[in-house]
Amino acid sequence: MDYLSSNKILIVNLESGEITEDELDDELVSHRIGGVGITSSLYETYKDKDPIVLGTGLLTGSLFPGSALGIISAKSAKTGEVAHSPLTLKAGMELKYTGFDYVVVLGKAVKPVFLWLHDGVADIQDASEIWGSDVWKASDHIRRSMGDDLIQTLVVGPAAESGSELAQVCINYWGSGDCWGFGKSFGEKNLKAIALRGMGLLEISEPEDFVDQCFELFEKIKKGSFMGKTGIQDIFSAMGENDATEWILPLVHRNSACYNTPYATNTFLYLSEDPKTLTEPDEPEPGFLVTDPCALLGFKRAGLSAKDAGSVMKACAKYGINPLAVAEFCVKSGEKDPENIEKSLKDLEGPVSVPDCGRFSYWAPGKPLFSNFDASDTSEYGAWWKRRQAVAYIFGIHPIFANMAPELSEELMLEMVNKGTGLELNQDILDKVIEDVCS
Amino acid sequence: MCAASGPPSRFSRKFWPFGDRGATGCHNNGINFYNFYASINQKLARGAEILYGDEEASLLPPARPCPLRVPRIGLYAGSGTSHSWLWFVDLFDRMFFHDVVFLDEDMVKNGVLKNLDVFAMSGGDTIRIAEGLGAEGAYELERFIGEGGLYVGSCAGAYLPLKSSKQHLDRFNFVDIKIANISKTAPTVKQLGRKATTAYGCDYVYHPVREEVRLRSTEKGPFSGVGSFLAPLYGGPSMVTGNASEIMAQYDAFTKKTLFLVDETLAEKTLIGNVAAVRSELGNGVLYLFGPHFEHPHFPIANHLVANAIFWDMKKSSVGGTSGMSEIVLDGAAKRKLVRDIKREISNARIVSVGLEAASVRWTIGCKIYEPEKIRVFLEAIWKRLGRLEQSPRIQISNQTLEEMTPSACEVTRILREVKSRIDDRLETQGIAPHLFDSLRRLTMFCLQTYFNSLLLDN
Repeated sequence: MDYLSSNKILIVNLESGEITEDELDDELVSHRIGGVGITSSLYETYKDKDPIVLGTGLLTGSLFPGSALGIISAKSAKTGEVAHSPLTLKAGMELKYTGFDYVVVLGKAVKPVFLWLHDGVADIQDASEIWGSDVWKASDHIRRSMGDDLIQTLVVGPAAESGSELAQVCINYWGSGDCWGFGKSFGEKNLKAIALRGMGLLEISEPEDFVDQCFELFEKIKKGSFMGKTGIQDIFSAMGENDATEWILPLVHRNSACYNTPYATNTFLYLSEDPKTLTEPDEPEPGFLVTDPCALLGFKRAGLSAKDAGSVMKACAKYGINPLAVAEFCVKSGEKDPENIEKSLKDLEGPVSVPDCGRFSYWAPGKPLFSNFDASDTSEYGAWWKRRQAVAYIFGIHPIFANMAPELSEELMLEMVNKGTGLELNQDILDKVIEDVCS
Repeated sequence: MCAASGPPSRFSRKFWPFGDRGATGCHNNGINFYNFYASINQKLARGAEILYGDEEASLLPPARPCPLRVPRIGLYAGSGTSHSWLWFVDLFDRMFFHDVVFLDEDMVKNGVLKNLDVFAMSGGDTIRIAEGLGAEGAYELERFIGEGGLYVGSCAGAYLPLKSSKQHLDRFNFVDIKIANISKTAPTVKQLGRKATTAYGCDYVYHPVREEVRLRSTEKGPFSGVGSFLAPLYGGPSMVTGNASEIMAQYDAFTKKTLFLVDETLAEKTLIGNVAAVRSELGNGVLYLFGPHFEHPHFPIANHLVANAIFWDMKKSSVGGTSGMSEIVLDGAAKRKLVRDIKREISNARIVSVGLEAASVRWTIGCKIYEPEKIRVFLEAIWKRLGRLEQSPRIQISNQTLEEMTPSACEVTRILREVKSRIDDRLETQGIAPHLFDSLRRLTMFCLQTYFNSLLLDN
């Protein structure tokens, strides 16, 4: 693959330390397009070796609106089936620029390690110093020891190290859409983190057309139905949870968008300082970036105050545990005291509910946001949601943003991918891939 | 020397594309100088016989027919040099002058110059360069030129052989040319104070402008046919010449991109009409001294004049020989591992250096200011050539480089991470900076020497 691609699939065997590279074959792309289409395929190829597969879509890291998504595909500790988790913030984009389109991690390292992917080089690094550390300390250590604050880290915390099925792979310091227990898979492999940084460039087959059309699309999207809305507070409103909007607003300090995503899907809450403060905070950790609206809503349903909910989510991120699952336990137990909840994190176990979401993370709200996508029958949203998520995960589009931008049609994504790669992918191929990844 | 005064009769105007148009016509003519020189040098490297005046060498200025050959060029990258020698690297690389030896002061002192046709020196801290070369280096350089070698110096490389009584520089009085941008009192500076003046004994060398200036060729020898052209000035001299030197170009005008560091009237008085480029003979050899950086990669006509000067005045016959270092050819797994190890460390170092560029820090080394951005100039010079080394089935490398290159790359990453960590902790980094840039310079020399050696191998 010459375009929108690094043309490399990385295979890392943590047990033997062997690192090999395969080319990303045009033929594979012609049949599986990319993103979850190819991570699923690679998972099948290596499934006897319990692989963790990372990947990006052809549009990931490009100028196409919402092109923030990377993917982890692996066997879910919860369901025992292959599932897919989103990598947002800057992690998906950075994965694309590491010089590897796909990364297959096999085997268990003899001692704790982290994987350092940079500029087409993969290094297995000793992680003894950070094994046992919480997610925040581990992220800090990696960034400091590698000398760059822009390194994106996929990190697990003590929850993963203790084998919890609720363990989550966090992104930098924050929670992620990993509701499948992939953190446990990292822990079982003695893999503390994957650190990502790349300063490469993407080649585009028809660069001028591609870039011009991306800019035109941005202009069009900016007039869309989410215009003037921002952050998790407005996502709550779009979900019909107006109470939650009022509940969270007093703590909102700022909203933050993932790479090249026109809507800010993340909201930073100030928990220990006045959120109206615009100067540098007095405390090093004055708050928390909420990246998971459903988890926050879960804590509201459990009866926590917004401030307590934010504090618990922060504790979950440090411990590396899925906050949505923790919220469900809180609802069941009736526990509302944040200190007690934090203390209980290490003992939480047992089944948590998994909605009918196919293999995609239910971190993304289960219906359209700010637009009904011309659907008159809202009972069909389940099937619509799965297809929409499949498309986002195939092309590399932010899964929450995909649910609020009807302008990003399947036809348009195919057109842009063809323009960017010079391939001739069509709706039939896309339909087949969607059917396969949804089955 | 191939040069002759006036075009030989066989050299008709139709082969001479610049004609009388002068000015900036070269580039507008759609001529790609880099391809032209690359083509000639490739043919010469493959053993083709090309004469001055042949049609395929028609961009070279008129001269008596004589055979052309690929020169062996020594590029100075020793103590005191800044990053600007990497501009010569770009020029030589693009024009396929691939027989390049990277030199430090010890190599000069140890007699490596005797195997060269051309010695090129770019910018830096002239006094540190002179100090590093010392009396032995000065002797070797003078002998090299006197025996027919060609010296090409820009900026600090132009100051070095000028007349001076200052300690260290007084060993290099090769030409009877003086600095014009010197004053008993420091002029009032408008901006970039530390880059605008430098104490020079009891006097001050001042730099009236930076960035782009317009020059006018005197149309002599290798500079004929170009009229006026652009080049960037970063502290290089304005010169006053004696009778023994040929003025090749003068400062002609400022442009919209010229940055004035002193009052415009003083800048005009110091530069306009004064000598920007000069050709001077010493024994059997020649020196070209350029105030502006003619080798800067954004200035193709100035680059073309450097190449012209090399073909015009390089030694008549090849001296042959080698740099004296034993070299081996690496291929297969050993080659792949070496290139991968270097790529790993250069990537690590680049990643840290990008982060450093956001830091509000600068370092003083000798009389020069170094910003974090300069770190990446070295690293990018290596990085952009690694692809070629990756693709090439084999590389040629000296034993010393093979031994030192990877540890040297690891050391650069280590120092950079230490610098970043200290900046994060708000600790001083001035003490580490000289070691950092020295290590970077050495690493870059190792890598680029291997790159050029391997190009020759592929040729």
